[in-house]
Amino acid sequence: MEKTILIGGKAGQGTAVTSHLIGKVFCHLGYYVFNYRDYPSLITGGHNFNILTISANPIFSHKEKYDIIVALDQKTVDLHRKNLNAGGFILADKNLKTISENNILLGRLFKSLGVDKNIVSVVFEEVFEDKAEPIKRVFEKGYDSAETRQKLKYLGGQGEKYFISGNEAICLGAITAGMDIYFAYPITPATSILSFFAKNQSKYNIQVMQLENEIGVIIAALGASFSGAKTMVGTSGAGFALMTEGLSLAGMAEIPVVIYLGQRTAPSTGVPTYTGQGDLKFALNPGHGEFPRLVVAPGDPQEAILRTQEAFYLAAKYRLPAIILGDKHLSESNYSFDSLKESPLGNSRFILEKIPLDYESYKITKNGISPRLVPGQGPVMRANSYEHNEMGNTVESADWIIKMNDKRNRKQEELGKETKKLNPISVFGKGSNLIVSWGSTKGAIVDALPELKNFRFLQISYLKPFPGEEVLKEIKESKKVILVENNSTGLLGDIIAEQTGFIIKDKILKYDARPFTSEFLINRIKKIR
Amino acid sequence: MIPQDLNTKEENTWCPGCPDFLILEAIKKALAELVNEGKILIKDTIVVTGIGCHAKTFDYLNVSSFYGIHGRVLPTALGIKLGNPGLTVLGFGGDGDTYAEGLDHFIHNCRYNTDLKMFVHNNQVFALTVGQATPTTEKGFIGSATPLEVGEKPLNPIALALISQASFVARGYAMNMEHLKNIMKDAILHKGFAFVDILQPCIVFHDTIPYFKKNTYKLDEAHDTGNFDAALAKAQEWDYCFDSEQKIPIGIFYKKERPLFKGQSPQDKPWYTIDRKVDWPKIVGDFR
Repeated sequence: MEKTILIGGKAGQGTAVTSHLIGKVFCHLGYYVFNYRDYPSLITGGHNFNILTISANPIFSHKEKYDIIVALDQKTVDLHRKNLNAGGFILADKNLKTISENNILLGRLFKSLGVDKNIVSVVFEEVFEDKAEPIKRVFEKGYDSAETRQKLKYLGGQGEKYFISGNEAICLGAITAGMDIYFAYPITPATSILSFFAKNQSKYNIQVMQLENEIGVIIAALGASFSGAKTMVGTSGAGFALMTEGLSLAGMAEIPVVIYLGQRTAPSTGVPTYTGQGDLKFALNPGHGEFPRLVVAPGDPQEAILRTQEAFYLAAKYRLPAIILGDKHLSESNYSFDSLKESPLGNSRFILEKIPLDYESYKITKNGISPRLVPGQGPVMRANSYEHNEMGNTVESADWIIKMNDKRNRKQEELGKETKKLNPISVFGKGSNLIVSWGSTKGAIVDALPELKNFRFLQISYLKPFPGEEVLKEIKESKKVILVENNSTGLLGDIIAEQTGFIIKDKILKYDARPFTSEFLINRIKKIR
Repeated sequence: MIPQDLNTKEENTWCPGCPDFLILEAIKKALAELVNEGKILIKDTIVVTGIGCHAKTFDYLNVSSFYGIHGRVLPTALGIKLGNPGLTVLGFGGDGDTYAEGLDHFIHNCRYNTDLKMFVHNNQVFALTVGQATPTTEKGFIGSATPLEVGEKPLNPIALALISQASFVARGYAMNMEHLKNIMKDAILHKGFAFVDILQPCIVFHDTIPYFKKNTYKLDEAHDTGNFDAALAKAQEWDYCFDSEQKIPIGIFYKKERPLFKGQSPQDKPWYTIDRKVDWPKIVGDFR
């Protein structure tokens, strides 16, 4: 069983909340749900919609054709009717006046699918808590007025599903990795990370700071990290552009920081509430000078949890900036899982508890990592943006410059050895042909794979350090290699060429600011064959 | 403790005779006295510098320190204080640093009122890049980027700090080292954001010593440091120009404690001392 429901309306009519609620109900029934969110940059009016695909089997993307349209306004009917499947139906009511009356349509939706009223009530109580009663009454009015068209089975079985967005997963990853302070300036699609942390700051004993601009944000995060806090910042490309001087500072002064970069359609303001993968090279290359860093791109919320935990662990251990590269599609879509697991790496701060005699802030070691103290523990602790000696004092001598560059470069090498053990690539499916991609495209590709005979999917998660050997091995074992990316030039293809010497000729690139669907991919891949 | 205890072995590369030596001496004396008076611990004192001549202070003081980047002394200091609220955080910046590249941070930190100190070595010129105008350079200045003179009047940082709600606003003069040291001590003991603009003539590119010698005067008890309007009036006695004889008040213009920037911190301990236990099933359970 698989059903796709589109729910649309004007901004402010509650499309996002309503779709989330529908998703949760189906999770309670034991179904897998994927919820895609599409909205322009405005507060009221316009046209927002969500597409929910519900399936008895795991699903990680939405479909292009709908079985049901829940229309909160006429525009929804006009725009989307053409994509209604044969046998599909539209739920609309011209008399709806308030957001609360949306629940009349919800009542009709669940009745038409034969869903038990009580299961929906449980979800209302979870979501709306003490405000649930009046909403339930409106819902029941709709429920009682409709006929059951088709009875959906209660799947149950493995228990309720987890229903979580990419941004929520990043928050969970950060909290369990021991984040102390989150610094940010509001920007789509990272804003919901800021609000999640702010809402839960007492619950998790964390601090949330919105500062004057993204420069202040990253610099303050480095200051707080220097004095011992585990810090994170979150932004999108436009804000990350301002942060790049801080990235060089983190690299030179060797201060841990975790950065979430949620891509939207760029350049410049671009299309600010839509998705894209145009910032790959920007994540890999920003900051003047050469310094070690980490870039990891999760493909779904489960990976977002693990990769965020890894980013915190590796940033602290190697004293460097770690970038989690996501996008609007991952950030704001909801995914369902039977279980969610955490990384076994733990949440050590990597700050010495026993204070060594003759402590040096930038001690030269075999692996390049200098043991770390924080100010206040006793010894003089220095952070220096200028080239420095082991004590952290400023130097300009050729000898020290070489020694310190070598020390920092050794950290990048060591980091590469460690990320090799953290599944830097994943391979899905079986077959002699290969689809290569990264990040949030994973969902549509994994969903398309069963329809594509003889195809494997290579997902590259660690982009720096780049797993060149592993990638080349997969490519060499394949007949046909197809690059799939949500950008217009095939940025990952360039990186693969640079790192392995292999040039991928067949590319499926989508740059209309909308995510891939499995139908789109199947259609395009079949044409290449 | 004596001031010399804060010396390092680093070679001092300031120009011989630079008033920066006096600012360095003043802070060493201020810190040593505060340690001896039991008011601060040197292990919990942190210095943050920007970029420019002033920033070399980083290498000449034997305390924990952060050699930051141009314009970003204040966000660095703010972060350090949030990371460990028990630290005494002293920012040192230049005038280009604080009033050009970092002006937005300056205004907002005046407003936030975090318990930070900001000492600005204001020589009214970009010295390390060999002589360009900064926001506090006087109208009429001829520099390497302004051969036809600076045409605009300078920014008045004392007045700006006041209207930006700084809770401690002072001006020191590097050549009056004892007086400056006392201002620094008061600033460090002030609970809140303390800003001291330090007149620091650049003897190579902007030698204002004769004018300052003639025109500076100390604010005395007749000036009420709790009176905002009086402070703003004093701030406007001198417009940072030199084309006419104006009196230049030095000392504390304004000092009034107000609620500190709490930053909505859920606790006051240094974050690195917090041991976090993770109950994964419970945390993830919220998403079922």
